[in-house]
Amino acid sequence: HSQPLFLPQKKKKNKRKKMDSVRLKYVKLGYAYLVNNFLRLLLVPIMWASTVEVLRMGPEEILAVLGSSAGHLDRIQILFFLLLVVFIFTVYLMSKPRPIYLVDYALYKPSPVWRVPFSTFMEHSRLNRPYSPKSVEFQMRILERSGLGEETCLPPAIHYIPVEPTVEAAHEEAETVIFTTIDDLLSKTGVKPRDIDILIVNCSLFSPTPSLSAMVINKYKMRSNIKSFSLSGMGCSCSPISVDLARDLLQIQPNSYALVVSTEILTPNYYQGKERAMLLPNCLFRMGCAAILLTNKSKEKNRAKYQLMHVVRTHKGSDEKAYRCVYQEEDPEGKVGISLSKDLMSIAGEALKSNITTIGPLVLPASEQLLFLLSLISRKIFHPNGKPYIPDFKQAFEHFCIHAGGRGVIDQLQKNLELSPAHVEASRMTLHRFGNTSSSSLWYELGYIETKGRMKKGDRVWQIAFGSGFKCNSAVW
Amino acid sequence: MEQNQKNTTSPSVKVHSVLTIVSGTPVRKGSVCPLSPLDHAMAHHSLHLIFYYSCGSFDLDRIRPPLNDVLSLYPIVTGRLARDGDGNWHVKCTDAGVRTYLANADVSIDEWLRFAGADDERLLSPWEDLPDDPHIWSPFRIQITEFEGGGTAVGLSCPHMLADPTSATLLIKSWTEALHHEPIAHPPLLHPLALKPPPATTTSITSPVYYAAKSTRSEPKKSPKMASATFCFLDSAIKKSLSEIQSTFPDATPFDLLVALFWTRIARVKRSTWDQTPSMSFCMDIRRRLQDPLPDGFFGNALHFSQLKVGAHELECGDLCNVAELVHCHVAGLDLQDEFWSAVDWLGSRKDGHGKFASPFRMYGPELTCVNMEHMIPDESESEPFMYMTQFVKGQKPVHVSCHVGNSEGEGLILVLPSPEGGLARRVAVMLPEEEMDRLVEDKVILSLEPTFLLSGRM
Repeated sequence: HSQPLFLPQKKKKNKRKKMDSVRLKYVKLGYAYLVNNFLRLLLVPIMWASTVEVLRMGPEEILAVLGSSAGHLDRIQILFFLLLVVFIFTVYLMSKPRPIYLVDYALYKPSPVWRVPFSTFMEHSRLNRPYSPKSVEFQMRILERSGLGEETCLPPAIHYIPVEPTVEAAHEEAETVIFTTIDDLLSKTGVKPRDIDILIVNCSLFSPTPSLSAMVINKYKMRSNIKSFSLSGMGCSCSPISVDLARDLLQIQPNSYALVVSTEILTPNYYQGKERAMLLPNCLFRMGCAAILLTNKSKEKNRAKYQLMHVVRTHKGSDEKAYRCVYQEEDPEGKVGISLSKDLMSIAGEALKSNITTIGPLVLPASEQLLFLLSLISRKIFHPNGKPYIPDFKQAFEHFCIHAGGRGVIDQLQKNLELSPAHVEASRMTLHRFGNTSSSSLWYELGYIETKGRMKKGDRVWQIAFGSGFKCNSAVW
Repeated sequence: MEQNQKNTTSPSVKVHSVLTIVSGTPVRKGSVCPLSPLDHAMAHHSLHLIFYYSCGSFDLDRIRPPLNDVLSLYPIVTGRLARDGDGNWHVKCTDAGVRTYLANADVSIDEWLRFAGADDERLLSPWEDLPDDPHIWSPFRIQITEFEGGGTAVGLSCPHMLADPTSATLLIKSWTEALHHEPIAHPPLLHPLALKPPPATTTSITSPVYYAAKSTRSEPKKSPKMASATFCFLDSAIKKSLSEIQSTFPDATPFDLLVALFWTRIARVKRSTWDQTPSMSFCMDIRRRLQDPLPDGFFGNALHFSQLKVGAHELECGDLCNVAELVHCHVAGLDLQDEFWSAVDWLGSRKDGHGKFASPFRMYGPELTCVNMEHMIPDESESEPFMYMTQFVKGQKPVHVSCHVGNSEGEGLILVLPSPEGGLARRVAVMLPEEEMDRLVEDKVILSLEPTFLLSGRM
């Protein structure tokens, strides 16, 4: 009965808090504007003063000033000065990295014939492991909390009881998935296979001989002097790695097209045992593929969708725990699977912090960097245990593509980077519709943002991927 | 056991792969298909259809996508059986899919069609009993068996609770229509409440009494070993016999003729075991015969069982004309509207205090039962019967379609089926105890109609 007395006070407190936060927001905006445009703001009064000065002096006075200063120098010195300017300008132009453009990309949409509803997954799990009901229940719990929807797909071999993961089936999956996507990309862009100069295929878990890149070259009859690479074993974060490799190659090879194919072939990797740590990939990984066409050709600048700004790669492999976090090994029964350690989330958080520390200075506006520096100094000197200041990346990027590794990963990153639900919607929807498609998930998310009409000219995108190793890689477009 | 002669070695069918075919679009979560009282009454039996094709490719990559499309229309087929709050069966539309078996047979299809028996046909569709806990058991199962040298059999098995022969046939027909990108001619109507009985009008109804008698009949201690054979009668033979009868009884149909023929001949074969007034149970599809007809696509059980009692002398004297007339009058004169609804009403009233239906009893048999499948011939005379319109390869209709009902052993089961020849041609699949069947296939009167034999076992 003393309660009613408290409530209005609480309401007042909340109202005050709201007003405070609104005021704070405006202060922050004002501060950001001030710091980011500092130089411009400084330039305005200088320009104004010199214009006033020039207007005050007549044209004859200006000529007189110029003539007096020119008289102190003779022709050779002027020529030398001009040559120096030209030289510096040339050096600047030559050392500037070539701009890398993303002409277009294509995504693989699996046929609904290979759809895996939750109930079918559970039945197969039970029928394949008749003596391990506990592991079946575990898988169901994972699936229910995973954020996956009912339209995700698994390759044909996994629909059989028992699963028949033959090499032939893996090849068939690779061919269907990769060729369909590349066909789509080539027809979208109008580029011919013979024009491709660099080919990079990344698929972590299936590495046949001849390689998947050889398979693509064989099918599309690409040129014999093509530079091809097949990256395997590099986990879900391999897409920015492939893009980085393409970028480096495009720096030394002018006027070229690079085709990057990012996929994961699931057929050989269905875990048939009952170790809990190894059952997660079965529940989360689904079919997907993305094919991306990159180029340094200046003629593509007009129709290219994105320009690559930065790629930042962070590797925590030197830390033993991080290295063993995602590990492929045999279980006590001899069945091969990928074991995920319980520390996965914390290790991912650490890797993200490293990545942010490197990428921050490259992308954040001056205001955020200054704040971060100030908070760092204050933490070092005054409050050693204070919370670190998390820069507001929403000022640096309009769109975020967070690897759809699982609902936990997206939740954690949303919290760490203080993102709104709208920012992580692309990741959540990709996870729901396609599942964890490993390295290609970043591209599905980008596709989602484009389909929703939210991508506008000049928008900046941050793709963050995590993977075994433990790696955290980012690409900024 | 190895035999020397080829036609006495039992053929073997080996299942090499099992997979699950799902529907293309997800089912609305939590939806449920309830079952009607008539569906519950059929719980004792299972239904098995086998479609035989003599050639053509049944590559899974070609036939699987259309089934994936069609299953989106049949959430009851991809669901799983479960008990509802009252303890009755219903189908939870869990979207789990249809279990599919791929098999190989080590004989050619021609050999199979000549020499295989009922036991062998069991190998062509997945016969599985309803388990105690059916939540991961696929009620609808498909088997695709490849024969040596070409030829394929597509088998479909399901509990009779969920589908009758018409529904099962139209499911396969929809599959083949989707395969050729044709519109689905009979989309399924999944609404068991369409079977809600209107108030009964007449008082002289016999069905509830008949069904009650069936329910109280005790199970025979030992089911006799049954044998089966299919008699294929040509259009010309039927026409000739029919004209002989029609001189006395002009309204005779091929069904009347064939029932009369087989009833009289089976009576003769059974003479030693005949000890009561002979009666025949008739099972017929009621979709088109109701006052408010149900569409053919109605998915579920829409069957009615009725009983015709005749005097023993009628059968013994062997006068086909007389018996045909009796059969015709029974079938045509049946006030199906009232009889059917009162039967359904009676079945619906068999509930205990908690609303659970009483346990099911034998609907097919154990008395001599005749199933009329002529309704599968659409009214337009140019059309094929439904089961023969299922073309997996364009232009390749099945060479034969078998229908089996599980748990129907007893005095015998006669199925009068349409024939791919069309017209008045018919195929009669008969299941009788073994010794009686041996005598029936040599019966002179039947042989006078020059039938050819299919699936008659090793004889």
